[in-house]
Amino acid sequence: MNDKFTFVQKVVLVLLRVVIGWHFLYEGVAKLLKANWSAAGYLAQSRGFLAPLFQWMADSPGVLAVVNQLNIWGLIAIGLALILGCFTRLSAVFGMLLILLYYLANPPFVGYYYSIPMEGNYLIINKNIVELVALLFIAVSNSGWYAGLDRIIKNLWGKK
Amino acid sequence: MDTPKKEERGKLGRRDFLQGVATVPVIGLFGYALAKERQYVKAQKEIKLGTTEVTEEGEELNVALLGAGAQGSVLLNAMLQIPGLRFRAVCDIWADYNLKRAVNLLSKYKFEVNGYEDYREMLDKEKELDAVVIATPDFWHSRHAVDCLNAGLNVYCEKEMSNTLEGAAEMVKGARQTGKLLQIGHQRRSHPRYIHCYEKIIKEAGLLGRIVTVNGQWNRSVQEDLGWPARYAIDTDTLKKYGYDSMQQFSNWRWYKGLGGGPIVDLGSHQIDIYNWFLQARPRAVIASGGTDYFSPEAHEWYDTVMAIYEYETPEGVARAYYQTQTTNGSLGYFENFMGDQGTLVISESEAGGTAGSIYRQPNAPDWDEWVRKGYVTAPKIQMMKKELDISNRLDVRESVSPDEHQIPIEFYDPYHKPHLQNFFNAIRGREALNCPAEIGYETAVSVLKVNEAIAAQRRLTFDPAEFEI
Ligand SMILES: NC(=O)c1ccc[n+]([C@@H]2O[C@H](COP(=O)([O-])OP(=O)(O)OC[C@H]3O[C@@H](n4cnc5c(N)ncnc54)[C@H](O)[C@@H]3O)[C@@H](O)[C@H]2O)c1
Repeated sequence: MNDKFTFVQKVVLVLLRVVIGWHFLYEGVAKLLKANWSAAGYLAQSRGFLAPLFQWMADSPGVLAVVNQLNIWGLIAIGLALILGCFTRLSAVFGMLLILLYYLANPPFVGYYYSIPMEGNYLIINKNIVELVALLFIAVSNSGWYAGLDRIIKNLWGKK
Repeated sequence: MDTPKKEERGKLGRRDFLQGVATVPVIGLFGYALAKERQYVKAQKEIKLGTTEVTEEGEELNVALLGAGAQGSVLLNAMLQIPGLRFRAVCDIWADYNLKRAVNLLSKYKFEVNGYEDYREMLDKEKELDAVVIATPDFWHSRHAVDCLNAGLNVYCEKEMSNTLEGAAEMVKGARQTGKLLQIGHQRRSHPRYIHCYEKIIKEAGLLGRIVTVNGQWNRSVQEDLGWPARYAIDTDTLKKYGYDSMQQFSNWRWYKGLGGGPIVDLGSHQIDIYNWFLQARPRAVIASGGTDYFSPEAHEWYDTVMAIYEYETPEGVARAYYQTQTTNGSLGYFENFMGDQGTLVISESEAGGTAGSIYRQPNAPDWDEWVRKGYVTAPKIQMMKKELDISNRLDVRESVSPDEHQIPIEFYDPYHKPHLQNFFNAIRGREALNCPAEIGYETAVSVLKVNEAIAAQRRLTFDPAEFEI
């Protein structure tokens, strides 16, 4: 692997990975600590072509319980992995998937109305998409190689 | 320098290792931040919980209920949640119905209670009573309260203290002469959210600055007159004996002159009492408009619609306070709104609706960070950007953007009347002072009854400071 980045660029790349990880981790931990947190409200609010799917999740208690746990622990795991730079590519991809789901549940498309107020003004692109693309960059640039456990893992067990 | 090729597979250089663990300390940082945040949340929660602490049981008090109608039942149910009370007797002239219901309820809770139709018989026979809770119609309060005080009982009497000032004055004197306690049922005086707002937000933190205007309302949707099950109708002689012409009047006493005071007295007295309390003042004048505009005047002698404006001389200067009550549209329910030069407080006893407790900072006021940290108010909910954007192109220099909204962080899950009753029983045990003693009830009665006078007089009426004193 050759070095495409200058030192400063690497530092920024790691920083980007760590702050996104922090955000994921806290989103997960906060939900974990909030007694009775559930995605039901968010899912029930869903708009767009996938709305029936999300509303079905909200309406079936069994599915909802699984979705809640997957969401909480997924966020925590991805957050930790991104901060530590461990399986960075994989966790970035999972992170993108999660964000994509959030986005599709409530896409800021023209003409949708939400009763949950949004803290900004968006047209198609919202902060979810920004974070998603940032994760994409982390995945393609392999940020975990610079200041991350991936370096140790690769060195010990990786293919030459 | 970063090429792994230098190293053998399965081996790890020092530099690679250090680079590998470079971000591990971030987890520690995260843990530290999280712990700090938890501490803060916990502190905020403790402030909330501190208000609903359970008072420990004291010596058992023997209690009677006088008047077991709608409000009598509400009070009874609240009292059943208070430890240390032993119910001995219930009195109500509706022997076949309300009296029976209350006695049955109490026997379900394993209390042996005697039922009485005539309160004098109850006072003659029940010699062990410590306290009586009175929830009869307003025009009976004075006689009931004074006779109970004279019989040596401590009295919790529902508002309105009395439908006449003479009656209310007798009650104040009765309490003074007997040395017994008389608590008037303005239950907001004991409500943790109201106490928090007065003691902490207005008095200690001064977040409203100088309160210059107040407004409040109790709006109700159209309601039918109250009915009664025909087979339990009280006979005319009994009704006459207790001051009622008919079952219609007996059930809807609030609307009749000489029995009640109409919505301004029934509902308004609760909130005008808060005006006096939060402003720490008594009104000096009132103008009012009102009438029976919607319902039939025969069955609604008192005004179904009232709008009143008080003038107060507060320690900081003049304040004007508007109040309205109407019975044809329940929009926005009931609340009180205090507007100072630094902040606005909207508060309501009602847990329903969005007005239970919000406070808005004026842009010119010093910031409230300290009070957010102390948990006096919540962190602000920033007004939606969108709203501002939508109006920004129309906003001219005379308009101000709506201020950020903070909440009053007092959650309250008990029955509304429980803390006020608790305060009464704790006062009997010598642990607390009454939150609404006779003198305060009297001040409120003077303030409120004047509105009906002002409507009839069709002019501004002033209060003589001596009117508030007994
Ligand atoms: N604090 C509050 O929030 C609140 C709320 C509602 C009512 N109240 C007050 O409670 C009191 C009762 O109101 P309510 O809505 O229960 O009225 P209500 O008509 O439902 O009940 C009155 C009861 O008193 C009985 N009664 C009447 N005259 C009597 C007498 N001479 N001796 C014994 N019993 C007698 C009646 O039979 C009836 O059961 C009023 O003063 C009212 O203002 C206070």
